[in-house]
Amino acid sequence: MADYVDPITTSVVQHRLSAIVAEMGEAMLRTSYSQILNSSRDFSTGICDARCRLAAQAEHIPIHVGALSYAAESVSKYFGDTVKAGDVYLLNDPYFGGSHLPDVTAFVPVFAGKKLVFWTINRAHHSDIGGATYGAYNPTATSIFQEGVRIPPIKLYDEGVVRQDILDMIATNTRHPRDFKGDLAAQIGSVRVGERRVISLIEEFGVDIVLASVEAILDGAEQQARDVIKSWPDGVYKGQAVLDDDGHGREDVTIRVEVTVAGSDLIVDLTDSDAQSKGFLNSSYANMRSAVTMAVSYLIDPETPKNHGSQRPVTVKAKEGTIVWSKEGAPVTMCTSHCSNEICEAIIVALSAACPERATGGWGRRFRVAIQGENPKTGSEFIWHLFHARPGAGGSSGGDGWHNSGEWHSAGGLKFGSVELAEARFPLHFEKHEFRSDSAGDGQFRGGAGVELEFTVETKNSALANTAGDGSRYGSRGMVGGKDSKPHYYVLRKSDGRERILKTKEISIPVDPGDKFVIHSAGGGGWGDPKKRMQSARQMDRKNQIVSSTES
Amino acid sequence: MNRIGIDVGGTFTDIVAVADDGVVTFSKAASTPNDPSVGVMDAIDRLAEELGTNTVELLSKTERIVHGTTVATNALLERKGAKTGLLTTFGHRDVLEMREGLKEDRYNMRLAAPDPLVPRHLRLGIQERIRPDGTVHANIDYASLDQAIDYLKKEEVTSVAVCYLHAYKEPKHEIETRERLEQKIPGISVSLSSEVFPEIKEYERVSTTVVNAYVRPIVENYLNRLEDRLRDVKYKGPVLIILSHGGVAPIKEAIRLAAATVLSGPAGGVAGSKYGSSLIGTQNLVPFDMGGTSTDISMIVNGEPALSSTRGIAGQRIALQSLDIVSIASGGGSIARVDSGGILRVGPESAGAVPGPACYGKGGTDVTVTDASVILGFLDPTNFLGGRENLDKKAAQIAMDRLATDLSVDRAEAAEGVHRVINTHMAEGIRLVSVRRGVDPRRFALLSFGGAAGIHITDIARQLEVERVVVPRTAAVLSAWGMLATDLRYEVSRTHIGDTSSLTAESVRGVFEEMEVEGRERLKQAFDGPVTVRRSADMRYGEQIYEIDVLLDGIEFLSDGLMENISKRFHARHEELFTYSLPEQEAVLVNGRLAAIGSLPDLPGEPRTGIESEAKPHTKRQIYLSSWCEAPVFDLESLAPQQRIKGPAIIESSTTTVVLRSNDEAVVTDNLWLNIEIGKN
Repeated sequence: MADYVDPITTSVVQHRLSAIVAEMGEAMLRTSYSQILNSSRDFSTGICDARCRLAAQAEHIPIHVGALSYAAESVSKYFGDTVKAGDVYLLNDPYFGGSHLPDVTAFVPVFAGKKLVFWTINRAHHSDIGGATYGAYNPTATSIFQEGVRIPPIKLYDEGVVRQDILDMIATNTRHPRDFKGDLAAQIGSVRVGERRVISLIEEFGVDIVLASVEAILDGAEQQARDVIKSWPDGVYKGQAVLDDDGHGREDVTIRVEVTVAGSDLIVDLTDSDAQSKGFLNSSYANMRSAVTMAVSYLIDPETPKNHGSQRPVTVKAKEGTIVWSKEGAPVTMCTSHCSNEICEAIIVALSAACPERATGGWGRRFRVAIQGENPKTGSEFIWHLFHARPGAGGSSGGDGWHNSGEWHSAGGLKFGSVELAEARFPLHFEKHEFRSDSAGDGQFRGGAGVELEFTVETKNSALANTAGDGSRYGSRGMVGGKDSKPHYYVLRKSDGRERILKTKEISIPVDPGDKFVIHSAGGGGWGDPKKRMQSARQMDRKNQIVSSTES
Repeated sequence: MNRIGIDVGGTFTDIVAVADDGVVTFSKAASTPNDPSVGVMDAIDRLAEELGTNTVELLSKTERIVHGTTVATNALLERKGAKTGLLTTFGHRDVLEMREGLKEDRYNMRLAAPDPLVPRHLRLGIQERIRPDGTVHANIDYASLDQAIDYLKKEEVTSVAVCYLHAYKEPKHEIETRERLEQKIPGISVSLSSEVFPEIKEYERVSTTVVNAYVRPIVENYLNRLEDRLRDVKYKGPVLIILSHGGVAPIKEAIRLAAATVLSGPAGGVAGSKYGSSLIGTQNLVPFDMGGTSTDISMIVNGEPALSSTRGIAGQRIALQSLDIVSIASGGGSIARVDSGGILRVGPESAGAVPGPACYGKGGTDVTVTDASVILGFLDPTNFLGGRENLDKKAAQIAMDRLATDLSVDRAEAAEGVHRVINTHMAEGIRLVSVRRGVDPRRFALLSFGGAAGIHITDIARQLEVERVVVPRTAAVLSAWGMLATDLRYEVSRTHIGDTSSLTAESVRGVFEEMEVEGRERLKQAFDGPVTVRRSADMRYGEQIYEIDVLLDGIEFLSDGLMENISKRFHARHEELFTYSLPEQEAVLVNGRLAAIGSLPDLPGEPRTGIESEAKPHTKRQIYLSSWCEAPVFDLESLAPQQRIKGPAIIESSTTTVVLRSNDEAVVTDNLWLNIEIGKN
């Protein structure tokens, strides 16, 4: 490897790598089959070097990104020297470097001559991965085997030739094998596009220059991250975040973190977090690491590349058997949102004492609903997801939070669908889809509003609903003196007016024709002392009924 | 008779006249942002002068004026539109501000949320409801409507957008609402979603309708004023406005669909490129327009510019079919610096027009892309903009030396570094745009226009492995010129959802016939020549959310196999765009589209000028291409057809500078364009 590469070449290589991961994302977007991928964009792309260090990533879903190197490491360790050009590897197992089962990751090794130099990587959330319930979110699961098919590191293509038997075996274990294969083909196309483009980059500059540039890029990002951390006062900062319950009777599941700032280093210690759960709130190791990466990424400068370098200042301590790192076999499906959102939140709460201007108020939590029944318009079965609770984003020193922009782990990267389209295709009638007044946490800068969504189910026969999420007891966290938001409040209103409050982790809720879902999602947490809020901003909020006139 | 094209830009108003014998004359005047029609009239005066006549005389011999305006664009960018209200279905008044849950700039957690064009208190819910099949679920409650209208009146709103759920299917509540509005607030400007953008998906429709309402009074005011001024100088012909989709429409229509004028400015450049592609006989072209603060990239595939319905501007979604122009916030004014990680960055910060690059001598001290071009010898400091401005080379050097110190290289190397990094950025931008269109950029020629493009284009072409670059003679006024080569165009659409197997051929035929009647009807008001129609459909597979645009040209609409043919087209188009299709799967039709096109006569070809055997440089200068070398400098405006110039060389004019690198060869075409073959290094 070249010892030195000039900053101009480094800059050119960095541009090229960023463009390659973006192009991999475009290829994925254009070729994927499922709505969750091509519309909600629940996938991410990245490039790791031979040592599995993340060199470049496209800005898709933050919670995916920090986990990619652990997945690559797992493949690299398992296959060692047998990796060859033309191979494609696959993995989803949370206990083998994955995060949760629906996230399937594809890898292609990139060679310079005989030397493995990079991995191009694509992680995508598949709409179904087998297991006991459709779409993997199963609040009653007490074992990972109830959540879907486990794919430890496997070789799917051997020097360019697909291992059809293996592919068919995996696809057979999903509910919609054709969709699964279509989306997987898109992932493989995406990593192959990446491979081709990295090879041409290497041909153009020479492998030594490219590798030396990557070192410089990582060093540069590290330097930028350290410059920020250095500006925080040394000390030990504590924070915690609390989950409502685990769906198996245990309430107030707590994540505790102690963050030590020492010069430009950060030590994030999660060992005091509560013990692991019976249910799917548990986090896999890689997902926990990714949640830490996400928190740190949200606190350093937005323009600093989110790669291995910017995470070098961070050391993570955690204990196996806790909610943030469960022992092999425990269910984990919820973890990419919960408890990763709370891991992130606890760290930001802790560091809000060190860098209040950078710590944003809490973003909302997830609370999804899936309804399954017969569509009288077509006579066939339908499944409709409210996959986006539309909670508010946290306020920040930059201003009030964004309304209905989501959750910590996707940070405005997930799109929700059209009410008109939903009405045209499903037996649903939406009476209301508006901001929820008084939902946001107050503060010098308040959180964004959550949403009130009301819809009637117009089936002829009874249907069933499942929920998955958290945050009906705890709202989004206020920060730096800001107030917490109101929590989620979901109700199923029967046609006779009786109401049934929906819990965040339920299955097989009976839904009769004419029943109405009344969804009130949480706002975002406030930032800063509410006394400092400008009177004009308060007036505007009242005029716009973001705050009702009865509230102060 | 003359045809006159007028393009109002940020700094200059460009004007082009094409006479019957094909002679092209251009001129320009300073733009007058407060009332752009003043600059337009100045430009016409200048043009008349250039032609040795006066304005009244010139306009009496003008059969058509085509105009590109940035009035709507600026109103959006500067948030200077009308005070606008929104009437919408009760319970759904926040769709506009919800933005489908998306937030830009993923890791910028402290980014403040943008203010919507209509604040929440001016978005009012009306009790009414239409079902997706068009049936009325609840009639308009006039008490709630009157109350809302009274509030808007009290708030002194001057323009109102009306957007009810499923109004694309049944517009009657919107029409009733307009009647009531006009009754209660005489003179109010009203935009109905069922007229502006009658398609399913409420966010796209409400956002587009609100944009329309927001800019309409501004556009109306401006165009009426312009019409008055032209009438004052006895102009009697039509004034046509170029719209975002690249076609032109009369003033009345441009006012009605004001949101469609938002990309009017750059649309001219793409229209000019399209015309150019036919002139130079290449069907596949990437128009590349690099200016001071931003760069516009688009694509012409098989002779047609790509259209898109996912464009927007200034954070506002406008779902009307528009030319697919992607803007990158980099250009000649982009600032170079070494970041705290020790890596050279160029942009996104820009020195803008004030203070501008260091070499402008207006107090800018940051080193920019333009400063690098001065130091590398590409720009002649004494002959910038044809000698109208002088550049301060010393200031550029001082600024560059600071960067060179940070980079530990010498001045020329630093300048070349800046040049390389911006070129990489641009090349990757083009690559991404072409990947999105599903095409390989190596098959394309680059069309270089905009003041800064020529300096960078041959290097960008090399990075993309593109073999051909085209530089139009009228590079800087391509927009004004291009407008003259466009046709009248009305876009009509209807939402008509269903699987291709369950929709009947009869119903689909009916929808397209209805659209054709409407399109022809509108066209007839301004045009009595030959009309062609183009049909297309937005389609997808069952579970997909994004539709693709499927051209239906050439399909026999009266045949029995209509639905089968439409679905075949869809599968083929899907394959072409996404490398695969699923013929066993049901195709879903969502929207039908029809463009009624009134073809205007072709522009006459330019007369050929005398042919000289050899191009002669008027001077030489030192330029830096990895090392200093002496390059001949040619005057673009004095070149003659068939002349050849080998790189390294500089070709410059009063509006642009083209850098030829080693092994590049430029040939002057009959139209006096440069056709550059990029050398293999």
